[in-house]
Amino acid sequence: MEISQAIIEAAKFIGAGFCMGIGAIGPAIGEGNVGAHAMDAMARQPEMAGSLQIKMLLAMAVSESTGLYSLLISFIILFS
Amino acid sequence: MSLSKKEKIFVGILLVAIVVIWAFSLRDVGGMDDLKNMGIGSKWIATLPYGDSESTGFFRLNRINWMTVGVGAAIVIGLIWFARSVGKKMSTVPGRRQSFVELLLDFMYNTVEESITRKEFIKPVFVISTTLFFFITISNLISGIPGVSVSVINGEPVFGLFLDTWYTPTSDLNTNATYAIMILVISHAFSIKARGFKTWIKSFFEPNPIMFPMNLVGELAKPISHSLRLFGNIYGGGILVLILSYMIKYLILPVFLWGFFGMFIGLIQALVFSMLSIAYIAAQVN
Repeated sequence: MEISQAIIEAAKFIGAGFCMGIGAIGPAIGEGNVGAHAMDAMARQPEMAGSLQIKMLLAMAVSESTGLYSLLISFIILFS
Repeated sequence: MSLSKKEKIFVGILLVAIVVIWAFSLRDVGGMDDLKNMGIGSKWIATLPYGDSESTGFFRLNRINWMTVGVGAAIVIGLIWFARSVGKKMSTVPGRRQSFVELLLDFMYNTVEESITRKEFIKPVFVISTTLFFFITISNLISGIPGVSVSVINGEPVFGLFLDTWYTPTSDLNTNATYAIMILVISHAFSIKARGFKTWIKSFFEPNPIMFPMNLVGELAKPISHSLRLFGNIYGGGILVLILSYMIKYLILPVFLWGFFGMFIGLIQALVFSMLSIAYIAAQVN
């Protein structure tokens, strides 16, 4: 393998790692916020827990999407 | 917890099936070295004889993904068959299947009723969102079940039986983008119908005309995020399971991962997709 190709290969892995690592920060904070506030609300009103759980999962899935974009980008970097 | 004899036999058959599938799939497990030669994330795309096959850009419209078309058509036919078989035997005292369907439809109808304030739009929005929900749910659920999969190795499609989960139509961006753009067009058509053409045009220039580009970009970004969310979850989950499970294929890990990524995430994302389509239409109609 030529040295230029080796550098490209190494840069691919580093780029994919950085992409996923940094991209996971935002959704993690967002999901933590959603979970924390849902827990607060459930502790205050335990009778609402059923409907809050579904809404919490929905909000988590929506806030997760930016992390998934970075997952996709890192897959594209790795496998193309 | 005590199981009846019938349940014990069912669990036994399930365990035997898992062991058989695992032993069957062991025949071509290699090391991590040939992970790249497996054709991960590749799609079997055929070129049709018509059209401009020289260009490589946006207008190359003669490429078709046979698995998406085939599995999607199979799911649609299955859903129609199920709906007909339920609709034929409607009774006042619902059976098992009828009460299941009624429960689902009731849930969706209540959700639509809560978010759409105009009476005349409740039924069409309910039909659209529920149809999308059923199709996406079924196509996500089969991504948690082992079946026929296809991967491209050196330009040739290679079929695998029980090597991977079923091919999912929603792991192809074309399917999701079609639905997302459809929802965008429907929402604006309903908006024109509900509020009139002038008010619809005016809604782009609010709060003042300077914001017109922002509103336009905001509208056009909706289908992109709408479709990429579902695509990223299903496609990324599938590839993640494939990579993680490569070393101990089908033993313990994949079953759990398929359950998580295929069934749990799939159900939630199907719900999110239909809820967001209701919300997008509601934002335009109300």
